[in-house]
Amino acid sequence: MSDHLTVEVVDADGAIRKALDDIETGTSREGFLKKALTTGGVVALGGVVIGGLPGLVTAAPGPAQDAKILNFALLLEYLEAEFYTLAARSGALSGEAAQLARVVGAHERAHVAFLKGALGSKAGAKPTFDFKGTTEDQTKFLATARVLEDTGVAAYNGQGQNLTKPTLAAAASIVSVEARHAAWVRDILQQNPAPAAFDAARTQKQIEAAVGATGFITA
Amino acid sequence: MTTKSKRRGGFAAALALFLVFAALAYGRDPAVDDGGVDLSPIPSERVEVSAGPSLVEAQAAPEPHRLSDLDGISRYMGVEQPVAARTTPSLGGKVVARLSTRTPEGTTNVVLALRRVERGGKLWIQARLPILPNNTVGWIPRTALGGYNQVSTHLVVKLSTFKATLYRLGKPIWSARVGVGQNRWPTPAGEFYVRNRLTRYSSPMYGPLAFGTSARSATLTDWPAGGFVGIHGTNQPNLIPGRISHGCIRLENADILRLDRLMPPGTPLSIVR
Amino acid sequence: MSDHLTLAQVDRDGAIAETLDRISPDSRAGFLRKGAILGGGIIGGGAVLSALFAEAGRAATQTDLDIGNFALTLEYLEAEFYTEAVAMGAIRNARVRRFAQVVAAHERTHVRALQQMLGAGAVAKPSFNFQGTTESEAKFKATAQVLEDTGVMAYAGQAPLVESNAVLKAALAIHTVEARHASWIRHINGAPPAPAAFDRPKTMAQILAAVGATGFISTGPGMTATGSTPSFTG
Repeated sequence: MSDHLTVEVVDADGAIRKALDDIETGTSREGFLKKALTTGGVVALGGVVIGGLPGLVTAAPGPAQDAKILNFALLLEYLEAEFYTLAARSGALSGEAAQLARVVGAHERAHVAFLKGALGSKAGAKPTFDFKGTTEDQTKFLATARVLEDTGVAAYNGQGQNLTKPTLAAAASIVSVEARHAAWVRDILQQNPAPAAFDAARTQKQIEAAVGATGFITA
Repeated sequence: MTTKSKRRGGFAAALALFLVFAALAYGRDPAVDDGGVDLSPIPSERVEVSAGPSLVEAQAAPEPHRLSDLDGISRYMGVEQPVAARTTPSLGGKVVARLSTRTPEGTTNVVLALRRVERGGKLWIQARLPILPNNTVGWIPRTALGGYNQVSTHLVVKLSTFKATLYRLGKPIWSARVGVGQNRWPTPAGEFYVRNRLTRYSSPMYGPLAFGTSARSATLTDWPAGGFVGIHGTNQPNLIPGRISHGCIRLENADILRLDRLMPPGTPLSIVR
Repeated sequence: MSDHLTLAQVDRDGAIAETLDRISPDSRAGFLRKGAILGGGIIGGGAVLSALFAEAGRAATQTDLDIGNFALTLEYLEAEFYTEAVAMGAIRNARVRRFAQVVAAHERTHVRALQQMLGAGAVAKPSFNFQGTTESEAKFKATAQVLEDTGVMAYAGQAPLVESNAVLKAALAIHTVEARHASWIRHINGAPPAPAAFDRPKTMAQILAAVGATGFISTGPGMTATGSTPSFTG
């Protein structure tokens, strides 16, 4: 439990208030994140590939750590965005599944754009994906979508305490949308949209293992 | 019976039988075109109808929904606006009582909520009323009442054995001997509820604590503040058990203090002979 | 409440929801069981959470206490709303009823967890008057949607202000479940489950104003009088 106050937390009211305002008015989302990430002027990151991510040390939150975590998030968003985009184009989906692929795909693409913008030159490159037929069959699509969304929720929730406050605000505005996606898919599948009273958080390692096991990322 | 009427009677009976038989036959006849509506009893969760919305709504129209159960949860509601309670759930219903928002003791006037219906998009609550004649109920628009408050207790007073028992979810958890009304001022029998609680007054005649109920003396109708029957302590415990009071239910002081820890106001009260 | 659906919207969405429910209810019957089998790996459950709260200890700072009590108040409201809706028996539709039952249980769990975390500093449960919204299926559906969306905005607004990691973890774990609830009832109502790519936060003041405007939190009836001698028949 970290009780000591970092500069970011002391600075809280101004930065957080601005961050929240910016989110609400939809302006300059990337702006405040860029500011948070460049304060203290630390390390640029190269491209990231699953399994090759530097282990995220749970140091006190700071801009460099924010960048690492956002690149981790960006990786997941690249994956989801590509997954939904391909599925929507495949012609294999109909009815509500097709609608979901369009709507959620647009959201994930927006998440990618947002994170890339915030990371700027630090943004990792998009990997190459092979979705192994899950974008070409409606049943497999829905089952995979469910896992991806639940995974996204667990991933973001696992990183919450490692982020600076403005970045946490941004992450919070994304993770709840992933949770909405998850519940939507689950309800289409006639599974419990909210299987537990609390959503579990998963560590970066756990998420990497889960995503790695899919084999979706090939390069 | 004359022969003529006997024959008529016999014919009528035969016709009736034929009609019943025909009704049964038609009910099961798949050739009868009923517009595609399945007329067999429909279990509550299946909504497989090709008829329009009206049939679905008819299935959904609620029976009066029970809000209180003496062996389980009972509910009471505060009267938030002065309001008329009526014989039927309709603004055209005859007024049974006009309820105010406060009791004579200054507490919120509450009613025990028995059932609820919806009429024309409006909710009505059938409530037990603190009026004479005892055991009167009436329908009140839900908009005049506050939120639902729950209790799981039920107090039963048996006059002939001078015994009071408190039940929680149907199980007895407290009992005590009581004094009840003398024959000329009897404690009324029927269904009531505990409607408030009085403490920190200085009147040893009532002991340390008193509960007000919705029950009224049917004989002391001129009593100040309406002649409500209370449940209270006493400075004459030696008289208990017995027919000793003007209608109130008297407990030894230690017993009423124990009762207070177990029984929230709002608890339904049954007084049986 | 500015986010409240209009009756016209509710009616239209209700018709769509009824259409969806013409799918045989048998296929929905085992979804809870299915969810337990298929969802176990990532979602986690009660066991994970008890560990979380065992290590959490108490909310230590005044800020966290205030935030925790704000959350607890909202959870009290939701728990009572859903529990009462189930008890009032006005929900005929099986899908809506299942939603109410599952969410009621979740919100009651949230209440217990927050009470435990706040310890002696936990606020008491207020009295509520849901003014018929638990007694009509249509009003329940519309109100539930607003309550869940509000909960999402409330937790999102507070998360960056929380000072201790333990309280933050709890807040995040609840926040996304409220989002699931919101998506679920929206889907039932025929509204977009995820209306935007980013969910917006609201401040504590904004949330309290919105909740206050509903009138759901009320002073309960005053049942005790002190200092006045009984005027009963004796």
